[in-house]
Amino acid sequence: MSPGKLSHTVAIILKALSLGYQFGFEIMEVTGFPSGTVYPALRRLERDGFVSSNWEAEQDALKDQRPARRYYLLTKAGREAESTATKRYPLVSRLLPEKLVKTL
Amino acid sequence: MSYLFAKSANDSSARLREWTFPIAERLVPPRQRLDWAREWRAELWQMQHERPGRRPAGESSRGALSQSLSLSYGLLADAAWLRADWLRATARGSAVGCLLALSFYCLLCGVTNILLAGSWHSFLHQFSETFLGGFLFVAIPGLFIAAVTYPPRPLRSDVQHEHRGHLSARTRRNMFLGAKVLLTLALGFLSSMIAIVPIRMQIGRYSDWAQLMMWALVVTVGLRWALLNQEQRCQKCLRLLSQPTRVGRPSYNFLHWSGMELACADGHGLLHVPEMRGSWCWYDRWVEQDPVGLSLQI
Repeated sequence: MSPGKLSHTVAIILKALSLGYQFGFEIMEVTGFPSGTVYPALRRLERDGFVSSNWEAEQDALKDQRPARRYYLLTKAGREAESTATKRYPLVSRLLPEKLVKTL
Repeated sequence: MSYLFAKSANDSSARLREWTFPIAERLVPPRQRLDWAREWRAELWQMQHERPGRRPAGESSRGALSQSLSLSYGLLADAAWLRADWLRATARGSAVGCLLALSFYCLLCGVTNILLAGSWHSFLHQFSETFLGGFLFVAIPGLFIAAVTYPPRPLRSDVQHEHRGHLSARTRRNMFLGAKVLLTLALGFLSSMIAIVPIRMQIGRYSDWAQLMMWALVVTVGLRWALLNQEQRCQKCLRLLSQPTRVGRPSYNFLHWSGMELACADGHGLLHVPEMRGSWCWYDRWVEQDPVGLSLQI
């Protein structure tokens, strides 16, 4: 998937990631997309090198008494793709609010 | 896993998810299964416990059942995507993938020919007439010429670990080459039958000569492709070799070999293709990876 061929949906997910939303539920919550859209899109972005993922430390999750989450972060290529997508779909940046509290 | 659904154990929607989860889990390729299940458990926990009042918009505006259906679909869609991606990666460049693709194109051309002929019987009549009456006279000498002018180069092989399966690696290679040649010729013949239809309308009876030339071209190109493709495959798993890397410097040719090195994606071995043929390096050299060394690398 080249940055020039990003769909509107993927552009919104990339924007959400760039704003600091880092795991599936958060992205579903802020974008309004169902899980059947968000997760396959995240997998595809990870396969194509736009996104990398890492597991939250068990201690941090235990502190909050919940299972550890898998966090997704934009790679360098992902950031470039996100800025290309934002230029292509300028309204995307108005759709999503900035995340107030960073997860990490 | 039951702790995920314990809070709303009586809820039918929770039961639906409980029912879908193991099915989706089975669908995920084994290597990714643990991570996938762990991630989804964390996500489902999040949806149920963390912020129950702030469910994602796409899944909150509807009732509990539709929400659960959406989540179940999400579970299955995600797992199916991973399985499809794994299948795509596995089939890419594999011998089975190559034969399946050729068979599919043959089938497509066959169906098109039947449609053009109008009926199954007229297609069979046309097929037997052109195949036995012309194509075989081009294909058989073509096969002979291809074998004489471009014999499959005997790869110098440093193989030490012989395959001990049902069929030897050599037998599987030859079977694959045979099947590929047959399918390539069949595809060439069937596609030439389609291509000749508009030509026949244009040039009438002279189209027989055009068909003859087309067959010669199809046989030559098809056989050359089949043989070249065979050389570019792993000697063990028959997957197409990848990651071409230049090795050595041409100016140091008397001191060390230089050329191209291709690797099997599954790590079975390397193919050394010398840039300059010499008496010491006339053929490509297949170097099989030592399984012990491979396991240490991994």
